[in-house]
Amino acid sequence: MSHDRYSRQQNFGPIGTAGQQELAAKHVLIVGAGALGSGNAEILARSGVGTITIIDRDYVEWSNLQRQSLFCEQDAIDQLPKAVAAANRIKQINADITVHAHVMDCTASDLTSLLDTSKVDLMLDATDNFAIRYIINDAAYQYQIPWIYGACSGSYGVVCNFIPGQSPCLHCVMERMPIGSASCDREGIIAPAVQMVVAMQSAEALKWLSGNRTQMSDRYTVFDLWSNMHQSIRMDKTGKHEACPTCGAQPSYPYLKSEAAMRTEVLCGRSSVWIRYPRQEPLDMNLAASHAMQLQAEVKSNPYLLQIQEGEYRLVIFQDGRALVHGTSDSLEAKKLYHRYLT
Amino acid sequence: MKILCFAHLSEQLGASSMELELGPISVADFMAELKNRYPALLLDHVMIAVNEQFVEQTHVIEPNDTVALLPPVSGG
Ligand SMILES: [Zn+2]
Repeated sequence: MSHDRYSRQQNFGPIGTAGQQELAAKHVLIVGAGALGSGNAEILARSGVGTITIIDRDYVEWSNLQRQSLFCEQDAIDQLPKAVAAANRIKQINADITVHAHVMDCTASDLTSLLDTSKVDLMLDATDNFAIRYIINDAAYQYQIPWIYGACSGSYGVVCNFIPGQSPCLHCVMERMPIGSASCDREGIIAPAVQMVVAMQSAEALKWLSGNRTQMSDRYTVFDLWSNMHQSIRMDKTGKHEACPTCGAQPSYPYLKSEAAMRTEVLCGRSSVWIRYPRQEPLDMNLAASHAMQLQAEVKSNPYLLQIQEGEYRLVIFQDGRALVHGTSDSLEAKKLYHRYLT
Repeated sequence: MKILCFAHLSEQLGASSMELELGPISVADFMAELKNRYPALLLDHVMIAVNEQFVEQTHVIEPNDTVALLPPVSGG
């Protein structure tokens, strides 16, 4: 290892040589190797974080290259899994650190078995849906590992630290899992919004990992780069809810329960996939329908089910969260459609 | 009262911020009033911060307060 490698970072007072040694001994789990995962992984690898584990279920596509900074054209041509392509690039950037890549879904059991078998110091959220974030949130509070929420859409972005024993959790900030939240494939995304979220998330990560924990932000920070607005919101007054199932007095960690996991089943001989996703509360069918209509999908509904037609795909959704996706026999594709309309 | 509209709300409103002669008014009544004046706004699940503080539905917003409307965002 070149002696000089981290000199500029060590010259930054709050990190110094002691902080640099701390970084080298730490293990970060990055959930998602898309835009936020790419950016965070690159910064933390260059910073000398000792071990990086990166999880993703998807593969590299051409539409990723505009903002997902670890990937190149050849990765899209080869359709490499994002976790693998990311790990390849990280190893080129810094051969001194350890990188683990997992091509997987990050279900509750995937995540907990990973946390059971290795010591993780921090989890970085680089996912693209709330279903996974509520799982990460439960795992974080059960295993007492902080996680950093990051999300962006259009020119808008959000970052928030969730630190067990110190901050209210995601449940306390958003009691009900949002339906039809702002996402990239719908509202589009510009790369600077990604980089802004990455900058804030990775700065918070460096603070936590280098032993500067008192400097961690206690705000829910939002920005809009196009309208030049910025808000840094205090969360304390709404506060930690005593009855919260994740961070309250008697936590039950509902999203880690196996029956809460999303399951898919490809129907033999038909291009259809069943999705079972027991929700904590019944689905608001009217709300889901109005969001689907916003997305220009054809929507039909009755009191029992909702039908959404998007091109060759047809989703039939029941109030308990089950859905039948017609027009594909690919469970990943079916899940993407489900998340697009329902989480 | 100053209203800041983030993400798709600014497109639905046609402006990212506006001034309204309102208040004192509870958060719940404010949301109903907003929906009434601007039916195009999709306000479900939108989070409300008053003077950079998350508040409950019963909180009373004063005429000189700044209210931020924050849609949940999932992209990444
Ligand atoms: Zn909580």
